[in-house]
Amino acid sequence: MISFILRRLASAVPTLFIVVTISFFLMRFAPGGPFNLERPLPPQTMANLMATYQLDQPLWRQYVHYLSNAVTGDFGPSYIYKDNNVAQLIGKGLPYSIELGLYALLFAVIGGVIAGTIAALRQNSILDFTIMSVSTLGVTVPNFVVGPVLTLVFAIGLAWLPAGGWGDGSMRYLILPMIALALPQLAVFARLTRGSMIEALHTDHIRTAKAYGLPARTVVVTHAMRGAMLPVVSYLAPCAAALLTGSAVVETIFTIPGVGRYFVLGAINRDYTLVMGTVILVAIFVIVFNLLVDILYGLLDPRVRHD
Amino acid sequence: MADTNETILAVRGLKVNFSTPDGTVDAVKGIDLDVRTGETLAVVGESGSGKSQTMMGIMGLLAKNGTVTGSARYRGQELVGLSPKALNGVRGSKITMIFQEPMTSLDPLYTIGRQIAEPIVHHRGGTFKQARARVLELLELVGIPEPGRRIDSYPHELSGGQRQRVMIAMALANEPDLLIADEPTTALDVTIQAQILDLLKSLQKRFGMAIVLITHDLGIVKHFAERVAVMRRGEVVEQGTTADIFERPQADYTKMLLAAEPSGRKAAPADNAPIILEGRDVCVDYAIGGGFFTRGNAVFRAVDKVTLRLREGQTIGVVGESGSGKSTLGRALLRLLPSSGYYRFGTTDISGFDRGQMRPLRRALQLVFQDPYGSLSPRRTVGEIITEGLHVHEPALSRADRDRRAIEALKEVGLDPASRNRYPHEFSGGQRQRIAIARAMILKPKVVILDEPTSALDRSVQGQVIELLRDLQRSHGLSYIFISHDLSVVKAMSDYVIVMKNGKIVEEGDTDGIFDAPREPYTRTLIGAAFNV
Amino acid sequence: MTDIVQTPAAAPETKGRSLFQLAAMRFKRNRAAMAGCVMLALIAVFSFLGPLFVPHTYDQVFPSYVNIGPSLEPRPDTSTLQEVMEGVATRARVTLKEFNVEGEAFTATITSEQPIDARATRYFDRANEFRDTQVVATEDEGRTLKVTGQVDREYFPFGTDSNGRDLLVRVMLGGQISIAVGLLASLVSLGIGVVYGATSGYIGGRVDNVMMRLVEIMYSLPFVFLVVVLVVFFGRSFILIFLVIGAVEWLDMARIVRGQTLALKRREFVGAAQALGLTDWQIIRRHIIPNTIGPVIVFVTVVVPKVILLESFLSFLGLGVQAPLTSWGALISEGANNIQSAPWLLIFPAIFFVLTLFSLNFVGDGLRDALDPKDR
Repeated sequence: MISFILRRLASAVPTLFIVVTISFFLMRFAPGGPFNLERPLPPQTMANLMATYQLDQPLWRQYVHYLSNAVTGDFGPSYIYKDNNVAQLIGKGLPYSIELGLYALLFAVIGGVIAGTIAALRQNSILDFTIMSVSTLGVTVPNFVVGPVLTLVFAIGLAWLPAGGWGDGSMRYLILPMIALALPQLAVFARLTRGSMIEALHTDHIRTAKAYGLPARTVVVTHAMRGAMLPVVSYLAPCAAALLTGSAVVETIFTIPGVGRYFVLGAINRDYTLVMGTVILVAIFVIVFNLLVDILYGLLDPRVRHD
Repeated sequence: MADTNETILAVRGLKVNFSTPDGTVDAVKGIDLDVRTGETLAVVGESGSGKSQTMMGIMGLLAKNGTVTGSARYRGQELVGLSPKALNGVRGSKITMIFQEPMTSLDPLYTIGRQIAEPIVHHRGGTFKQARARVLELLELVGIPEPGRRIDSYPHELSGGQRQRVMIAMALANEPDLLIADEPTTALDVTIQAQILDLLKSLQKRFGMAIVLITHDLGIVKHFAERVAVMRRGEVVEQGTTADIFERPQADYTKMLLAAEPSGRKAAPADNAPIILEGRDVCVDYAIGGGFFTRGNAVFRAVDKVTLRLREGQTIGVVGESGSGKSTLGRALLRLLPSSGYYRFGTTDISGFDRGQMRPLRRALQLVFQDPYGSLSPRRTVGEIITEGLHVHEPALSRADRDRRAIEALKEVGLDPASRNRYPHEFSGGQRQRIAIARAMILKPKVVILDEPTSALDRSVQGQVIELLRDLQRSHGLSYIFISHDLSVVKAMSDYVIVMKNGKIVEEGDTDGIFDAPREPYTRTLIGAAFNV
Repeated sequence: MTDIVQTPAAAPETKGRSLFQLAAMRFKRNRAAMAGCVMLALIAVFSFLGPLFVPHTYDQVFPSYVNIGPSLEPRPDTSTLQEVMEGVATRARVTLKEFNVEGEAFTATITSEQPIDARATRYFDRANEFRDTQVVATEDEGRTLKVTGQVDREYFPFGTDSNGRDLLVRVMLGGQISIAVGLLASLVSLGIGVVYGATSGYIGGRVDNVMMRLVEIMYSLPFVFLVVVLVVFFGRSFILIFLVIGAVEWLDMARIVRGQTLALKRREFVGAAQALGLTDWQIIRRHIIPNTIGPVIVFVTVVVPKVILLESFLSFLGLGVQAPLTSWGALISEGANNIQSAPWLLIFPAIFFVLTLFSLNFVGDGLRDALDPKDR
């Protein structure tokens, strides 16, 4: 098991390296730069700025420089948020995004699996149809629609909950953004669970369990459910990585001080280092969650156990 | 032999039907059966006869669109129409089942120990811990080696035969009155099949339960059952003691089934007939494991130094169990796999030929597969399928010429030429196999490698396909390599036999010699394990 | 000659039903899926042919009608016209005595202390709402004039946006762009994914290993974000948007096709094709790709809504197609920002957007059921 984890972590290094390299050069070969503002700066100021941030050096040297710094945890200064470097920006924002994302993930997984299982067990009933219609709606309505609507109804209309901000970090502030963040994923989990559950209920070993007179609850819970969870677990990795690294949309609508906004702000402002920082952050999350999910998968399915 | 005094399962007027989008399908059309204590009743029939659905219906295991009506009484208790809850009192304790697919019938996510214990705990109470001793005892009973270790194994860690033993252990756990065995050995090799059947027989003697054996294999029935019910198209055509059915069959269908056993022998070609295909020291290796960075270091030798010479007009039968390398050998001889050794086609040394060099020779070297469902591309018409080779080998042919050849080929294999505009899924298994043969024959080959061409077919159809293959051989002077696990078919088809095990030739010789006087113990086991009608 | 005429009649060939025809039959039985199809067709007709029947263009600005709500009544309504007319009269320093609107025409009677100059009609034409004002009668020594003219009445069934553009036409245009982006990007991802997946799966071995490793690495790139970067850096043209989205959505497709190919490769008809001497490329083209079509079609119905969503996400971030062009996503984000003051800006594009995605979902589910290989 430990050797499996070490091997996987080792194979993550080249992956990260390629991700960093692709992103770095992709960005630099694009036209424009962080200081190409609408009103052009005086040439002298521009040159000074470029020199300060070493942007006047040859590209390969900048790349080597960035890599060697990044290895030591120095992801460079932000060109736009001049008071903070990239590591500090992410360090400040990440806890907010993770806390919110974690709640959303729990909500999505638990809600989705329960809804999907009910739908599968009552296949083709009104209940099934209702759950699936609602979940289709969940997948199709983008969260930048859900967000404002939630605000309008619960914050402005009914005035039950605050419209945005982190406040004291209590649940009151988190409910609306959490729902907006979780809803599409909840729908995905529900659909996945329903599909794999229906498939699991038709396998030969379920027939065996029935033929041996096991009660319906045992058949469903111990035999069908466990097998049906495998695809759900697989989806957990990309989903968790996406939720925990914050959402630009939800954080903007609810003014959450997380890292999700930096993706977009960094790109729009051509803040190279901030963009690189967020790319690396997301890539690490994806890699780590893939590993965690593979371990979990192994625990669930003896056929792919890693020993 | 068995005490036949009491009827434990009485089936009267049982009907099973399925509602499909195309209308209702009657799978079982009102049948009567009786099972008595301690006896073995065989329900025999070809695919689609409703033999399995009868039992599934009684046990409440039909697919959602299936309904069962009529009556099935277990010791007086009506099972048809019983709620699943009430049925659970009988299922798994009084009546148990084993299924055809030992690979999928067990839950892959739980240890076999837990799965065997589940019906014990459920029907008798207690904990899984308490049941463990009983599970060990059962594993011992069904002949699982090292039960103390195996009890914590997962199904994928066991072989097919062992899994079927586990299923039997599970079936015996609550000492049932009746065991329903649905094609229990169809997916297994012949030697394993014999072991499993012997095991069932000895356990039956010991515990005295009745067995309903559902099978398509008359050989098994003759050696195993006391009474037989022959089913066809959802009806029982004949019922009686095994001796009566086999010696004095009444129904035409039964007679036809009994006669369908392939018969006849093929005469060997003249000794001086030229060699058309030769493989010397054929070896095929597969790398096991190995990822992107690590080279696979373990090598599995599927075919190990096999030498084979095929003369014009000869049929060499290649016999072996699954994993013996017989199919791999066939593909290696056609140079479809990377392999080492010396190969000769006619007088041409083809050892070093690459794919491009082999291409023109392919029309003379053809291959027919086992699975008539998998070997025809489902999205092309029969005409397109059988003329595909002509595009490669006779590209100059006009459309009309190709069509004419397709008609010829279809007529030759006994199919309606009009069927060339239809799609494979519209044909039965036997017809599909004819299409596959037509695809090979249209190129007018010299050598055809037949890889289990009859194994997926019902006995009655098997005979017809064998007849066809023999006719084609006679009229075109073909040479066959006939690969099969089915000894009776090999015996009828070939004049020379090679017995393979673990990639090596165990024994070879004239068909008569091999079957009448096998020298090697393995050959003897194989022949002994095959039940003849 | 008679031969030729008779040939078709003489050969009543039994035509088989292909798997596709069977699937089509099953699909037609699925009511939800058929309803989805009809809905999609209606939405496509609405988006692409609709603009032909609406007099406004998508970039036409009506300064008099900014942010007005949806209504089936023509604009301006009679009472508003009355106000406008009174305003005109004030500007022309005349008194409005009588004002009537009948259909597209109006009549007004104006009076003044002094005789009115006929050129006062210019004041009428200056208002957006009136044109072709003419004096039809002069009374009271020129102190009372009867004028008639045309009223420009506009219909805005969906209301207008904050720039005074007709939302109906905007929604149609948004539909055109969203549907086009969805289809084109899906085609791009389909093309790349099918060829890549089929090649990787068919060749197998080390090539497959390398190709799939590449896909794995691409998976760890934060893709949505990569799209953002690409669009920000390379500009927001329509072509680029669908190319970029297509280029990031092909990974799943490649994986699905590869999986299918691996399974197909073990099927015996591929072995048969090899035994017949077909080249790899012929086998991929004739046997592998046609047999992957079922799952691929189903997957496309998943990708299209995904792409439309992704495009709308870009639009929400202000990175979609550039104004005055628009897409449903852009319209929705505009509506979300004005949700309190002008909810219709959100409601109408959202209805079409959600209906489209909903229908695609049902069609996808229907196709999955119809093409399900288990039914074969």
